[in-house]
Amino acid sequence: MDPEAARTARESLDLAFHMSNILETGLDRHTLSILIALCEQGINPEALAAVVKELRREPPSKPVVP
Amino acid sequence: MDELQDQQALLDLVKDLVHRLNPNTTTTQFAQSLKYATRILTSRMTPSIATDEAAMAESIKRSLVNEGNSSDALAFADLYTKFTSKSGFGSIKNKWAVLYLLKVVAEDRRAANKSDSRASSGLFASTVCGGLPVVFDEKSSGAKKTLDRSRSGSNGVLLVSKDSENLWEIAAREYVDLVREESEVSEGVLVRDVLYACQGIDGKYVKFDKNYDGYVLLDSVKVPRATRVMVRKVCELGWLFRKVRGHVSESMDRFPAEDVGTIGQAFCAALQDELSEYYKLLAVLEAQANNPIPMVSEAGNSGNYLSLRRLAVWFAEPVVKMRLMAVLVDSCKVLRGGAMAGAIHMHAQHGDPLVQEFMRCLLRRVCSPLFEVVRSWVLEGELDDIFGEFFILGQPVKAESLWREGYRLHDGMLPSFISQSLAQRILRTGKSINFLRVCCEDQGWAVAAEEAAAAVGTTTKRYGLGYGETDALEALIAEAAKRIDKHLMDVMYKQYKFKDHCLAIKRYLLLGQGDFVQYLMDIVGPELSEPANTISSFKLAGLLESAIRSSNAQYDDADILDRLKVKMMPHGTGDRGWDVFSLEYDARVPLNTVFTESVMGRYLRIFNFLWKFRRVEHSLIGAWKTMKPNRITSNFLTKQEGSIKFQFVSTLRRCQVLWVEMNHFVTNLQYYIMFEVLEVSWANFVDEMDSARDLDDLLAAHEKYLQSIVEKSLLGERSQTLCKTLFLLFDLILQFRSHADRLYEGVHELQARTAVSALSSRGRTKTRQKQNDDTSWGGGGRKALTKLAGEFLQTIGQDLENISKEYSSTLEGFIGQLPMQQHVDLKFLVFRLDFTEFYSRLRLGK
Repeated sequence: MDPEAARTARESLDLAFHMSNILETGLDRHTLSILIALCEQGINPEALAAVVKELRREPPSKPVVP
Repeated sequence: MDELQDQQALLDLVKDLVHRLNPNTTTTQFAQSLKYATRILTSRMTPSIATDEAAMAESIKRSLVNEGNSSDALAFADLYTKFTSKSGFGSIKNKWAVLYLLKVVAEDRRAANKSDSRASSGLFASTVCGGLPVVFDEKSSGAKKTLDRSRSGSNGVLLVSKDSENLWEIAAREYVDLVREESEVSEGVLVRDVLYACQGIDGKYVKFDKNYDGYVLLDSVKVPRATRVMVRKVCELGWLFRKVRGHVSESMDRFPAEDVGTIGQAFCAALQDELSEYYKLLAVLEAQANNPIPMVSEAGNSGNYLSLRRLAVWFAEPVVKMRLMAVLVDSCKVLRGGAMAGAIHMHAQHGDPLVQEFMRCLLRRVCSPLFEVVRSWVLEGELDDIFGEFFILGQPVKAESLWREGYRLHDGMLPSFISQSLAQRILRTGKSINFLRVCCEDQGWAVAAEEAAAAVGTTTKRYGLGYGETDALEALIAEAAKRIDKHLMDVMYKQYKFKDHCLAIKRYLLLGQGDFVQYLMDIVGPELSEPANTISSFKLAGLLESAIRSSNAQYDDADILDRLKVKMMPHGTGDRGWDVFSLEYDARVPLNTVFTESVMGRYLRIFNFLWKFRRVEHSLIGAWKTMKPNRITSNFLTKQEGSIKFQFVSTLRRCQVLWVEMNHFVTNLQYYIMFEVLEVSWANFVDEMDSARDLDDLLAAHEKYLQSIVEKSLLGERSQTLCKTLFLLFDLILQFRSHADRLYEGVHELQARTAVSALSSRGRTKTRQKQNDDTSWGGGGRKALTKLAGEFLQTIGQDLENISKEYSSTLEGFIGQLPMQQHVDLKFLVFRLDFTEFYSRLRLGK
């Protein structure tokens, strides 16, 4: 990536991170970057959010998967 | 291969994510988590809401504000703007997705952190984990519904744990979805169409239906019934608007044909103004309609600000006004001028203050031409009415009928807020000004008008008055009427000496000037005995002059004497001069408004009657002159003896008795007519003349005066039989006179012959009267004379007898009919004529 694009990407990530902090999502920068990458790929953000929510839970709460 | 690579890259990313989310897990847990995550990710491939980035940002902001974190919201907004401005390589392309992701994660966290988890949450928690949505087919709309429901279901889980208000949100969202699905056409389009309809233009779906006579939604368009009804309701405004605008444009088209009139134009102008206000409102609404304002709810019916319901609310007031205008337009379609103003005024009698205010403004404008015309009529006498809208009509007439027929009220054009009496006063004031200007050639009325205007406070300039100021109008008219009437009266009395002329008419035409009448009768009498066609009016005029000069009339005003003339009425054959002679008084402008042709005709009738009567009286007096006891008759008596003398005496006596009877009748009748009829009526008339405030009063008083004279002197319609009887009596009296004359002539001749025969030896001839040449008395002695005398006396006696009989019977008939008359004064006549009840007893005795 050329430096310009890299800079843009970095700044976008920063902004997103700031926004996420305001919204108190509890996501750190790395996780956020992964999520953003997945969104760019076209994954449904609702699904991603569900994944985040589910996997944040404590393992003992996970029941048997049908 | 790219796909595989992509998949691999995705998988790696997912693995990484899982790892990061749950860093402290065992491998089996990790594998499980991974499987789970993959399942979730594959199950929802398409987002369920519209990808609207700005809306998303807005909704995030709003939720932040709702929590009370306005500073956060501002910061977020700031960041967002920067975020969106990033474009090009390396920037995030799917910004919406990122925002949405952040939002949902934040919400989930919030939900999870809420300590007051309800009992249901545990239950639902298990459900959600156990009940992931089944694999679906994204193409079918049914699945869409399922997705929505499921989404709402899952979201519902999250939301239920929040507040109960969200039930409403759910319901609203479901409804919106239902409606949206049922309508082919979106509400925004309908709203736009309705707005067009309200300006009278057909929209795409809303058109004017001639059969139904209204704006309707086309049947081909599939919309729910509620919407259809709503559209129809709102389009009522469009129908009303069409009607009003139609009327306005129609009137404007008709204007050059001069059919509409000033008031109609004023009405149209007022309507136009109201329509401009309405257009302004419509412009504002249209501007609003094009601005979509996003709604709070996530359902994102991010449609237009204006819905049909909102339109209905906005239109509530304009509909009322438009309805009023349409009603007015309907009622005024065929009316013009003052009638239109009156009709609009009737509509203004409404309890609702809004309506009243509206109507008042409208009426003010509509009536301003009307009031202007009134003002100019009342203050200047100008009638400037091209279109025939005013309630006073003028027609060109000659000067003498200006007052009576020149102007009149047209009730059809009289508006209802001007009462009849006020209208009469307006008419009279203007008429007076015109009368003064035309007939009296007087300019002083302008001063009076200015004073009147100054007294009321309005100026004499234009547009000083308006509708609603009826009091001011009335005050102005009262003042103007008062002053101008007074001025008119002054002019009539002082400049034209009305009273003097009335008095003159009374003295000459009604034979009030006794000595003049006597002289006239004396001079003119012998002339008038000739047949009518031999009399020349010039000669009579000369005789009139000499009569005037020899009586007190010569001291009268020259102007008045100038107007007195002789008039010969049209005569047939066999008429004597007595029948056609009359006097005439020439009343010029302006007095001939009072003394019109018909009025003078009535005076003429009275004059004829009085003249005839005077003639009878005159002849009776003349008979008395010959009947006075004198030397000749007494000599005649002494010289004769026997039956002749007796016959002679009895004839004489009969003659005298008859004369006395007739004289009694004539005197009393004369007295009655002169004093009880003429003088009394005149006194009443003078009183009324003094108290008359305007020319109408004067005319009425004069009319009453004449009418009372006519009635009381038996010339009226009800006394026609009586009148005939009276004339019969007059004829009899005249016949009597001629008989009496003959008697005395005969007596004198006999006497003369006796004297001649007696004194023929003495050679003196005494001739007293002119001798009839056809009597051959020349010869014969005393015996012949006596015989002749006897015969003569007998004839005379017979004639007298006849006359006497006729006279008595006629007189009885006359007196008998008198009590049946209505007029109370005639009863007094009966009393005079029959105060000893001689005649009534005579009648009863028969």
